[in-house]
Amino acid sequence: MAMYIRAKRSKTTYFLQCDPTETILDIKQKLQALIDQPVNDQRLILVETGEVLEDSKTLADQKVENDAVVALTLRKDDNEFEDVNIVKPNDFYQPHEADGGSNC
Amino acid sequence: MVCVLPGLGREKGKEGEERVVASAGKMRKEDTLKLISAEGFEFVVDRKAAMVSQTIRNMLTSPGSFSETEHGEVTFPEISTTILEKICQYFYWSLQYASGKETEFHIEPELTLELMMAANYLHT
Repeated sequence: MAMYIRAKRSKTTYFLQCDPTETILDIKQKLQALIDQPVNDQRLILVETGEVLEDSKTLADQKVENDAVVALTLRKDDNEFEDVNIVKPNDFYQPHEADGGSNC
Repeated sequence: MVCVLPGLGREKGKEGEERVVASAGKMRKEDTLKLISAEGFEFVVDRKAAMVSQTIRNMLTSPGSFSETEHGEVTFPEISTTILEKICQYFYWSLQYASGKETEFHIEPELTLELMMAANYLHT
């Protein structure tokens, strides 16, 4: 296995095995099999940079590396894409988070 | 800090390595498993990856099938989201490691204890 990426939306994370030479469209097709949403209704955003990933380009082209997190957003009824929505566990549960936390 | 926990050593079952053939090709829903954390967060992983855990492997392969495995969902009410995600990352790291890509697995020190308890539970 060459690499994997994590596609996140709301409280769900999809671990996707992939290869750096695969295109974003390939990734969306994998997601389509899992979430029953056509590729045209999916948008992937590299969380680190906020960059919207283009279907025709490969993962390597767009610097999507092993273990990268991409946000999955879906097309809404009004034809627009929804905003990035990733819920983090420490939004309401914070036993161990050390980075950036305040000591209250 | 980068470290490799001895307690998290790769499982070496009898059928060990040949199972670790992971492809980057097509993905099918039936081949995935949804792991659900204490807070109700969901992690969708390949069954092949989840079977790095001996506990999950036993669930998936035992004859009297668990209802969880038929629905493709397993809930871990005792494993927090942070830890479960780390475990899923470990599954994939382990597959990569087994296929010859020797990297280190990063574990935040503050996660170590809880992660080892979960790893013990999952036989990972």
